[in-house]
Amino acid sequence: MTIRTKVFGVLGALVLAALVQTLVALQMARERGWGREDADRTARVLEHLAVLSRAVLDMQDALKGFALTGDPVYEQQYHQASELYNRTLTLLPENGTVTDVRQLERLRTIDARVADWHAAVWMPVFARRRSGEDVAAFVLREGRPREAKIREAIDRFETHEQSTLAVQRRDTSLRYTRATLTLLAIPAAAIVLLLVFIVVVTRVVLDPLSVVAESARQISAGNFSVTLPAGRSDEIGALVTTFRDMTAAVQRREQDLTIALERQRQIAREYAALQAQAESQRKQLLATIDTVPAALVIVGAPDGRVLLQNGAAEALIGPPPRTSDELRRSRRRLRTLRRDGRVCPRREWAVVRALRGEVVVGQELTIRHPSGRLVPVLVSAAPLRDEAGTITGAVVAFQDITRLHEVDRMKSEFVSIVSHELRTPLTSLKGSLQLVLDEALQLPKEERLQLLRVALASTDRLIRIINDILDISKVEAGGLRLHLKPCEIGELVKQSIQSVEQIAWSASVRLETSLPPDVPGVVVDPDRIVQALVNLLSNALKFAPPGSTVRVDARRNPDGSVGVSVRDEGKGIPPEKIGLLFQKFQQIDGSDSRRVPGTGLGLAITKALIELHGGRIDVWSELGVGTRFTITLPAAPALAA
Amino acid sequence: MSTRVLLADDEPDIQLIARLALKRAGFEVTAVANGAEVLARVAEVQPQAILLDWMMPEMDGFETCARLKADPLTRDIPVIFVTAKAQESEIDRGLKLGAVGYITKPFDALTLGSQVRTFLGLGAQPA
Repeated sequence: MTIRTKVFGVLGALVLAALVQTLVALQMARERGWGREDADRTARVLEHLAVLSRAVLDMQDALKGFALTGDPVYEQQYHQASELYNRTLTLLPENGTVTDVRQLERLRTIDARVADWHAAVWMPVFARRRSGEDVAAFVLREGRPREAKIREAIDRFETHEQSTLAVQRRDTSLRYTRATLTLLAIPAAAIVLLLVFIVVVTRVVLDPLSVVAESARQISAGNFSVTLPAGRSDEIGALVTTFRDMTAAVQRREQDLTIALERQRQIAREYAALQAQAESQRKQLLATIDTVPAALVIVGAPDGRVLLQNGAAEALIGPPPRTSDELRRSRRRLRTLRRDGRVCPRREWAVVRALRGEVVVGQELTIRHPSGRLVPVLVSAAPLRDEAGTITGAVVAFQDITRLHEVDRMKSEFVSIVSHELRTPLTSLKGSLQLVLDEALQLPKEERLQLLRVALASTDRLIRIINDILDISKVEAGGLRLHLKPCEIGELVKQSIQSVEQIAWSASVRLETSLPPDVPGVVVDPDRIVQALVNLLSNALKFAPPGSTVRVDARRNPDGSVGVSVRDEGKGIPPEKIGLLFQKFQQIDGSDSRRVPGTGLGLAITKALIELHGGRIDVWSELGVGTRFTITLPAAPALAA
Repeated sequence: MSTRVLLADDEPDIQLIARLALKRAGFEVTAVANGAEVLARVAEVQPQAILLDWMMPEMDGFETCARLKADPLTRDIPVIFVTAKAQESEIDRGLKLGAVGYITKPFDALTLGSQVRTFLGLGAQPA
């Protein structure tokens, strides 16, 4: 049976009970009313009886009065009383006050006795008084017993009515009490029923519901082991069944979620691993491209923002711009110049062209370094595409070709100088021979001989220049072969002195040597060492003012190596030029005139030669004092000093 | 009266040969070794032509020419460059300075004189 049925049943019972109670109460109220009606009637009967009694007494008094006095007033009085009596008598049964047959019987009895008295006493009295007879005794004799009878009848009636009234009153009050109790019983019963209802509902509905609610709480806390009220076939039973199903579903879903969560975690772990892998690959890439000497920048389409750049790029063009502000500034900085000095429009930039899909190789541009310096670069760029072939970015390589340009410049300068150097002796050669051969000139013999000497000297000079160029080329190419022999440095010094004696003499410069005996021997290519020494001596003689001394000192160094120094007393070399000394094509400013002009290769060759021997060359100079070049050669291992 | 030429070249051999070649052509030659000396002696020598080597120490031919042309006293003396440098741009620079011409090295000693004459707008050498 369902709860609804039970509830309705109980409610119905409640209502029914209430109804019954109400009906009962109503009935009782009505009966009480009735009771009261009866009592009232009886009271009225008594009242009327009282009036009747009074009227009868008045009639009797009137009679007595009239009998004694014969006063017509008493007659009047008698009639009035009689009238009242009659009225009252008829009134009683007329207005429903007296309905009972016995009551009517009693009334009739009274009336009969009154009529009897009236006939037996009043009439004769009335007639005898007129005749003057003594009526007192008559009244007494005839009246008294009849009055007593009347009295008795009335009394009897009264008594009866009074007792009836009492009974009725008691009855009424009983009824009243009963009705009140019944009326009170309704709410009492209602309350009781309500309590019953509550108990029922509590037991049948609320308790199971709170069990279910508690179970729900448990389940939401994760505890799936709950006991539910079982085996009911009503709504609670349906709820429990549904709840149980839901619990099962929730449990299943929780399990599914746990599995899914675990899978998500798994995926997250894999993703993190992939990310770490990607990051390490990225780092690897970065490390790789950092090793590339060229500046590499990877930009993303379509705006060319920097995705990756290596250390060389950072050094060349600065750190990648992070804000759009920085981007704008960097773009302005990258305003590039073409080789011809004109501004290269953006659409022609290698990176822009690459982003359009073009592969650019070897574009020569000038960019502005963050420091402000203009840097010539060689730019190559290529687009980067994804699997679909869409351009995702570009890779741009810059190469700082300042050095290259520098080298180029130096080379063309070298060519220019060499060309000049070659043409000069050629001019002398050609010119002198032309003049010698020219009959028309008719030069004296002395002059002719001089010209021929000039021609020869020019030839020698040409040979020297060409040899220098060849030497430096061989050194550069790594093809210079040394023919090593054990030598004494002193011998080599002497040889080189001999070579430059003439020049020293014509320059009025003294040559001095210091060659101590303890200088160890060396294993060297003697020609090359002499070449080096001659070069140093030539330079020294270039700078030595007339009258000064050029010294060559050889010594044994503390570590066993051999040192040879060439010192002049010339004007010295400015400190900023010392670093350039040994570089190719560098010319040191000669003094007023050039005695042994060079190609700027001499010192470079000298340095290379010495270093090929495993030695080194150093220079010291002080402006206004002089210059000293020092060669250090390793001692020969096997030879003793 | 022979034309006076002031010749500047840092190579003594070139000085010798150029001097002889020009003398052969009838010029009177004064030779100096660099540009500074040119400026120093131009007033004294009063040459009708100046032959300048391009590459010289202290003051090169270019600077010398510039200075000569800047000085109203020497502006009108014709300047000829004698140079081993053969680059277009260099020659251009020289000519823009106001030189009347240039002679490349190695020059032909036998025709040096007539070349100078031509530059100076002089006729052929009197026999």
